[in-house]
Amino acid sequence: MDTNVSPPSTTTTVTPPLPKTRKLIPISQPIPILPTSLAQTYTHIHPILLLSLFYLRFPSLVSSPVPTLLSSLIPLSILQLSYAILCLPPSSTRHGLNHDPNDKSPGNNKIESPRPDQLRKRSTPKKDSPDHPFISRIIPALLSLTLTLSLSPPLLFTILILFGAPLTTHLPHTFLLATHVSLLAVLPLFYVHGVNARMWREISSAALPGDEVWGGTVGTMLGAWGGAVPIPLDWYVPLSAPSHFSSVWKVFR
Amino acid sequence: MENNATFTTHPNGGLKNTPRRQTEEEEDKEDRISAINKRKKIQFQASHTLLIAFFFWIFSLHALGIYFFTKGFLLTRLVLDSHSKCASSPIEFEQQGLRNSSSGCWHPKTFDKAVIIIIDALRYDFTVPVGSEHHHYHNALKVLYETAVEQPHNAFLLPFIADPPTATLQRLKGLTTGTLPTFVEFGSNFAGTAIEEDNLLRQLRAAGKNLVHLGDDTWHSLFPGYFDDNLTHAYDSFNVWDLHTVDNGVTEHIIPLLHHEEVEKWDVIIGHYLGVDHAGHRYGPDHPAMANKLHEMDVVLREIIALLDEQTLLVVMGDHGMDAKGDHGGESDDEIEAALWMYSKKSAFGRLNNDSITPPNNAKERPTAQIDLVPTLSLLLGLPIPYNNLGSPIAEAFVGTDQPDWKNLMTVNAISSGQISDYQRSYSLARGLDDGVFRSSNILREKAFRYWFNAVASNVLEKEFKVVFEMFTAYQKDTLRLYRSLWARFDVTSMVEGIAILFVAACVLAFYARSAALHGVEYIPVYLLQTGKYSVAGAILAGTVKIVDPSLVFMDSVLLGLGLGGVLGFGVAVTMTRAALKYDDLPIPSSVWGWLSVIFTLLQAIGFASNSYTIWEDEILLCFLSTFGVVALVSSFRQNSASVRSAGIAQSVLFLVLARISSLSRLCREEQMPHCKSTYYASSNSSTSAPWQLLIPLFLAITLPMIIKLYYVQTLSYKGPAVLWIGFTLRLGLLATAAFWILDAADDNDWFGDRKSIIRAFKMILARLTLGLAFVAGTTYYLWAKPCVSIEVSSRRNGADAPHDPPKKRITVVGYMNMHGSRYFLLVCNWIIALILVQKPMGAGAIGALVVQILALLEIADANNISQSAIGPVILGALGSFHFFKTGHQATLASIQWESAFIPLQTIIYPWSPMLVILNSFGAQILTTVAVPLLATWKQPPKSRGLLGSIAKAMATFILYHAIINLATTVWAAWLRRHLMLYRIFSPRFMTGATVLLLLDLIGILVAIGGVRSNFISVAEVFGW
Repeated sequence: MDTNVSPPSTTTTVTPPLPKTRKLIPISQPIPILPTSLAQTYTHIHPILLLSLFYLRFPSLVSSPVPTLLSSLIPLSILQLSYAILCLPPSSTRHGLNHDPNDKSPGNNKIESPRPDQLRKRSTPKKDSPDHPFISRIIPALLSLTLTLSLSPPLLFTILILFGAPLTTHLPHTFLLATHVSLLAVLPLFYVHGVNARMWREISSAALPGDEVWGGTVGTMLGAWGGAVPIPLDWYVPLSAPSHFSSVWKVFR
Repeated sequence: MENNATFTTHPNGGLKNTPRRQTEEEEDKEDRISAINKRKKIQFQASHTLLIAFFFWIFSLHALGIYFFTKGFLLTRLVLDSHSKCASSPIEFEQQGLRNSSSGCWHPKTFDKAVIIIIDALRYDFTVPVGSEHHHYHNALKVLYETAVEQPHNAFLLPFIADPPTATLQRLKGLTTGTLPTFVEFGSNFAGTAIEEDNLLRQLRAAGKNLVHLGDDTWHSLFPGYFDDNLTHAYDSFNVWDLHTVDNGVTEHIIPLLHHEEVEKWDVIIGHYLGVDHAGHRYGPDHPAMANKLHEMDVVLREIIALLDEQTLLVVMGDHGMDAKGDHGGESDDEIEAALWMYSKKSAFGRLNNDSITPPNNAKERPTAQIDLVPTLSLLLGLPIPYNNLGSPIAEAFVGTDQPDWKNLMTVNAISSGQISDYQRSYSLARGLDDGVFRSSNILREKAFRYWFNAVASNVLEKEFKVVFEMFTAYQKDTLRLYRSLWARFDVTSMVEGIAILFVAACVLAFYARSAALHGVEYIPVYLLQTGKYSVAGAILAGTVKIVDPSLVFMDSVLLGLGLGGVLGFGVAVTMTRAALKYDDLPIPSSVWGWLSVIFTLLQAIGFASNSYTIWEDEILLCFLSTFGVVALVSSFRQNSASVRSAGIAQSVLFLVLARISSLSRLCREEQMPHCKSTYYASSNSSTSAPWQLLIPLFLAITLPMIIKLYYVQTLSYKGPAVLWIGFTLRLGLLATAAFWILDAADDNDWFGDRKSIIRAFKMILARLTLGLAFVAGTTYYLWAKPCVSIEVSSRRNGADAPHDPPKKRITVVGYMNMHGSRYFLLVCNWIIALILVQKPMGAGAIGALVVQILALLEIADANNISQSAIGPVILGALGSFHFFKTGHQATLASIQWESAFIPLQTIIYPWSPMLVILNSFGAQILTTVAVPLLATWKQPPKSRGLLGSIAKAMATFILYHAIINLATTVWAAWLRRHLMLYRIFSPRFMTGATVLLLLDLIGILVAIGGVRSNFISVAEVFGW
C-alpha cells in the first residue's frame, strides 16, 4: 500500500451525541367529537351538507368558476363554523384540562382523558360555562376563521403554484381554490389546536394521531391531489374541481 | 454529522520495547497490513468486475427485449435508391421513337405544363353540394363539382383516399413517390427529411422542367434545391392560428405567373394552401371561418381556370381530410377522405361508363388512392413513373373523351404494371424475400402480360383490350395489397416475446434492487454462474430444437433462448441462495418512502395508456416531483436535531422552487396546443434563442460553481482537487459555453457584419476545446485525483498519566465524512460542462437547475435518512425525465434538435454527430444516471461495509424505474397498435423510452459504476482497503 498516512493504531471517529431519537415523537392525543347527542349527529350530517353544497353548485361551477367559488365561500364558512362549534372542543377548553391532569371538573368536556404531557405552557385555563356552551365556542370559532383566512390561503396558493398551477393566468381560480381548501382543511385545526407552536410543528410533520379533524385535513389534501389527476384529460376545466373532490374525500373518512 | 476523522498514533508504535524489536515488529506489521490490503484490493476489483458483468447482462436483456419487440412492431420499408430512366421503358417493344422527353418518355404526353394546387385538408364532402341541413363547410367550394358535371371532358372530381398517417409530411411523400408510408424508412439520411428515393419532382427536374413552389415550406425540407429560387415563395407552416398569410402569399404570386407574359418562365407550379387546414385546427370544420375560407378558394380557383392555357393541366387536391374537430393525423374515414380534381381547357378526360359522369356523392363511391396520382401525372406529362411507385394510373385521365379507349387504358396499365414488377423484383432481392410472398400477384402478372402480348401482336377486338386492362388492374391491386400487408403487419408473436423478455428483466432488477436480504455484490458470482450456464443451455436448445417459436430464423431463435435461459438461471440461483440462507423476503416496500416510489412509478406507467397523460407527461412529472418535495418537507419537520431539520426544510423548499422554475421552460408539442406556450426559443415559431436567454449560461458560469462549493463547504470537503476542478475548471468550461452561445447568436443575427467565417471558426474551436476539457482532461483528472480531503498533523502530549512518553501524533482528516461523495462529484462536473455546452441557452438553465436539484435531493436523503430507500433513485429518474422536457424536447421525432450535431463540427462525422445529438436529447437523463452513485455515497461513512453493494442497488433501482417506464410504453404501444394516435403519440413515446433505457444502461455501467472504481481505489490509496 502506498500511504500518505501511516496506518493508525487507534481510530476514533468522533460522533456528536445524537438526540435520543432521530425523529419527533408526537405528544398530542386524538381529539374526540363532543359527547352531546347533537354533536354525534351533526358530525354525520356535516359531510352530507358539504356534498349537497357541491352538488348544488356544480353546474354553475363548470360554467362560471370564479363567481361560484367566491359565492360558495360564505355557505362553506358557515358550514365549517357550525361543524366546529357543534362538534369539536375548542383548543382553550382542552388546554385547561391538559394543564391539570387531575382536574376532574364536570362539564361537557370531561370526555377527554388526562393528557400525559406536561410540556405545554399554559395561559389561564378557561372553564367552559355549562350555561352557554355554544357562546363560549363561537368566539374561538370566529378567531379560527380569521386566522385561517389570513394565514392559510397564501401558503396553499404558493403550494398550488409549485404543483404547477398556471403562473400568469387563472390566478383568481387558484387563490379561491386555496381558500376553499383552507376552510375545509385548516379551520378545524385552528379551532381544536389553537396557535400552540408545538402543535403546529406536529401538524407540519403530519404526525398527529388519527382523529376526525386530522382525517378531514388529510382527506382534503389527498382529495385535492387526486383531484388533479383528471386535469390532463380535460385541460379546459381549470383547477377548480379539486376542492370539491376534496369534500367528497372527506365523506369517506 | 462529523466531517472529520481523527487518528491518533504513537510515533513508535505505542510500544515500550527496544528499538530493534520495535522496527522488526513494525516491519512485520506493515507486511501483514500490506498483504491484507493486497488481498482486499483484489477482492474489490473482482467484485467490481462481476458487478459490471451483471449490469451488462441486464443491458443485454433489455436490448434483446427491445429488439424482438421492435422487429414485430415498427413497420419498416427498405428505400431503394434506383431511379426510373426515360430511356428504359419497363415494356420494351412498341415504344420505339418515343424515348425522349419532348413527346413523352414511356407514353405520349398529354400536357406540357401543370399547375398543382394542394388545399391542405380538403375533405371530399367539402366539394360536393348538399341540399338540406348543410353545415358551414358545405356548398362553399362549388367550382370543382360544377365543372366536373358541366364539362365532363375537361374535368373530373374523385374521392382521394390517403394512406395514414394523415400528416402533411407523410402525405407529401406519398403524393410524390407513390409509395406507402411506414414508420421507419431505412436508407433515409441522418438528419433527414429530404426525400432521397425516386419521386415525381425528381423526374420533372430530370426532364429539364422548371419547378416553382408557393406556400407550405414543408416542400423545401422534402425537396431542397428543386425549385426555381427567383419565383419560389415558401411560408412557415407552423402557425396554425394564422389563416391568411400563407394563402394570400400563394395567391399573390400564382396569379401573375399565369399571365401569358410570365408563362414561359415555368413548367410546373406547386401551390400549397394551408388556410383550410388551419381553420379546421383552430375553429373546426363547422364554423363560418371555414365557409369563408372555402369560398375564398372557390374564387381563386375560378380565377386560375380563367387564366389557364390549353397545354396546362390543373390539379387541385387535398392531401388528407380532417376529423369532426378539424384535426388529422390518424386513420379515421374523415381524415383519409380528401378530394382530387383535374381540369384542362382541352378535352382530355372521360369516364369509364355513362353512370359515372357526375362525381360521386360521397367518398365511399369510386375512391381513388393518393398514390395513383404519381403514375397518372407522370404519364400525362410524359415522364417515367418513379421507381418505387405502387399506384395505378387513374382511368378517367386516360380513357379518352368519347368512347372508352380501352387500348390506351391497357397500354398505360401495362406500363405501370411493368414498373411495379421491376420494383417488386428488386425489392425482393434487396430484402431477401422468397417468392412465396408474392405468389398470387406473380400468377396474375404472368397471365396479364401473356394476354397483353397476344393483344398487341394481333389486332383483336376492343373488348379484348378491356379484358387485359382489367387483368393489369387486378395484378396491381393484388401487389398493392401484398405490400400493404407486408409493411403494415404487426408481428404479434415477436412483440409478445419482446415484452416477455422486458418483463422478466424488470422482475430480475426488482428482485436484485429491492430485496432486503441481498447485499449488493455478495451473490453476484452465483447469479452470473447460473445465468451463464442456463443462457448457453437455452441458446443451444432453442437453436437446435426451436422449441420456443418455430417461425424464427436461427439467429433470433438462439438469441431468444439466450435471454430466457439466462433469466431462468437467475431464478435457479435465487432459489439456491434462498435455501442456503433461509431468507424469505420479496421486494415489497416497507416504508412510506418505499410506497411513494412505487406509486410514482406505477401511476406514471399506467398513464402512458392514455394519450392525454402521454402528451402532458411534463406536467405530470412536475406534480410528482412537487409531491415528493412536500413529503420531504413534512418529513424534515419531524427531525429532532435542529440543524438536520433546518437543512432538510431548506433543501426541500429549494427542490420545490427549482422544479417550478424549470417548468417554465417549455417546448410544446403540437398536441398540447393551444393550452401551452413555448418559451424555449425566442418565440413559438423560431428556433433561435432570445437575446436575454444568452444571459442564462453566463449566469450559470458565475453561480453554479459557487452553489456547488456551498455544498462542499458544509462537510469541509472543499479541499484538494475540488478547489481546482470546481473553482476553476468548471467555471472555465461554463464561461466558454456562454461565450460559444453568444458567438452563435452573433453568427445568426449578423452582429459583426461580414466577419462571419471568423466567428464561425472561433466558436467551433471553443466548442471543441470545451468538450476536450470535459471529456479528455476531465476524465484523466478524475482518474488520478486524490480524495477531496486535507490532512492536518498536530502533536500533543499525552497528559499526566504518561509524562515521559514522546508526544503523540494527531492526524485529522478534514472532509472525511463525504470523502466518496465529494470526489465522485468531480466526475459529475465533467458531464455538467459537456451537457450544458450542447444545450441551447434555455436548456443550459434547465441543466443548471437539475444539478442543484440533484444536490438538494442528496441533502434531503441525508437529512431524512433515506439514502437506502428506493425513493432516491426513483426521484432521480423522474428528475431526469422531467428535465428532458425542460431542455426543449418532447417524445416526438420532430423535437429532435438535429442542429446540435453541428456545435463542434462543420459536417456530419460518424460517430460523433449522432453522439452529440444524443447528448443534446438525453442530457438530463444522462446527468442523473451519472449522479446515481452519489445517492449511496453522499455523506455516507467512506469505510462502511457494503458501500459498493449500496451503489449497485441504487443503480439497479434507477434502471428499474426506467425499465418499468419502458415496459409500460412498450406494452401500451402494442396494445394500442390500432389506435388513431399510434404514430403521433404512442410509437414515438415507445421509441423514446427504449432509447433512454439502453442509453442509461450503458452510461450507468461505463460511467457511473465504472467511475466508482476509481473512487474506491483513490480512497483506499489514502486509507487502506
